[in-house]
Amino acid sequence: MQTKGLKLTDVLTTVVVAIVFGIVYKVWGPLYYAVKPLGLHLDQLIYGMWFIAATVAYLLIRKPGVALLAEVAAASGEFLAGSEWGLEVLFYGFVQGLLAELVFAAFRYKRFDVAVVSLAAVGSTIASLVLDFYKGYIDQLAWWNLTLFIGARFVGAIIIAGVFAYSLVKALEATGVTQLLRPTTKEDYDSLDK
Amino acid sequence: MRWGIEHKETWLHQTNPTAKLLLFLPMFVVIVFVHNPNVLINWTIGFIALFMLFSGYRMKHVLLFFVPFLFIFISTSSSMILFGKGETTWFRWGLIHITEESFYRGVHLGFRTLLFAIFGLMFALTTKPVLLFYSLMQQAKLKPKYAYSFLAAIRLLPIMLEEFQTVHQALKVRRAAKANGFRGKLELVKRYAIPLLSQSIRRAQRIAVAMEAKAFTNERPRTFYYEVTLGKYDVYLLVVICTIVALGYYVADMFPYVAIKDVR
Repeated sequence: MQTKGLKLTDVLTTVVVAIVFGIVYKVWGPLYYAVKPLGLHLDQLIYGMWFIAATVAYLLIRKPGVALLAEVAAASGEFLAGSEWGLEVLFYGFVQGLLAELVFAAFRYKRFDVAVVSLAAVGSTIASLVLDFYKGYIDQLAWWNLTLFIGARFVGAIIIAGVFAYSLVKALEATGVTQLLRPTTKEDYDSLDK
Repeated sequence: MRWGIEHKETWLHQTNPTAKLLLFLPMFVVIVFVHNPNVLINWTIGFIALFMLFSGYRMKHVLLFFVPFLFIFISTSSSMILFGKGETTWFRWGLIHITEESFYRGVHLGFRTLLFAIFGLMFALTTKPVLLFYSLMQQAKLKPKYAYSFLAAIRLLPIMLEEFQTVHQALKVRRAAKANGFRGKLELVKRYAIPLLSQSIRRAQRIAVAMEAKAFTNERPRTFYYEVTLGKYDVYLLVVICTIVALGYYVADMFPYVAIKDVR
């Protein structure tokens, strides 16, 4: 039933969807530092948008490796579009995609609900925090400030890359376009026998 | 990706894209483990000089490219300056607590981000995406199905932009291009995203079928329309980067701007 590995169709669809998000990622940059001066890490609430390619692509195509590929592709798209953050987006994209992928793998690529996607968003958040720890000395912030920073990022990630990504894909399912993408399931075969 | 801005083809454009990527990427790791602000300031000066002299773009364009960097510099350094830990207090007002340590740490972070941004911009402005993916296939043995997928996706971008315009105008004429409140804004994002994504997926499917028919997937040794090789310019780049890195360390040691050697 399910073929091993990604076929060209899967890769191309993932990359195309991811590059769309790559443009969103690029546009998100100016928005992020426009919100920043409002103070007290409000900007962290919208950070989660940078995790959304992985979760949306996984929900759409439902195959192993798609989340990682999507996040890397989206980061590359952002990078090639001339991101203000330059090189670091490639590293962030890779690590964020990897942790999201690991969450999906932990459920053996069998669950496609809000909870799993939100958990993947949490995974990506942890990945970004680990890099921030090395790059941004975030451990040197005052503790109340650091708590606010981390808390806001987790909340934003779950809302945007978890819940919102899920509802986006649900809406896409209504258009029927997702039937083109997903591997045939056991139910599909069962329905033929009826 | 270059936005069609007029420029000269300098030796930086002639370097091998994979080599350039492999020279730039380790710099991220190197920079993250530098804690001396003097070194970072010197490197920033050095690489900005490299960019201005050899990117082949006109000075007024280069200065325009640098405008967003200013925002990033301020936005990355400000949190640390205002809320960072430190001993020597300079200023305290409510939650804001500026110390000498947090100030230098903040500025250090600003320069760090600035350096990443310069490397990113230098790469993006001197590399043709098409040659990057051809080079990745030839030098880095990236599988053709990935490389050609990226190339196809990049070619689809103008169509997507056009579609975005169409959707935007269609919504505007129906007075549906604006929304209030947080929920409203999310609804609005969907209103744009659903048609754009569904059309992109359909198009990707059609293109994928065509590409499979034309054997873009086969893993056997293949020939390439663009032959990308390594050359003397890659050596130049290596030498230039090493020189700037070494000089930065030397100057930071001999003529420091600030007395602090470690901002942690």
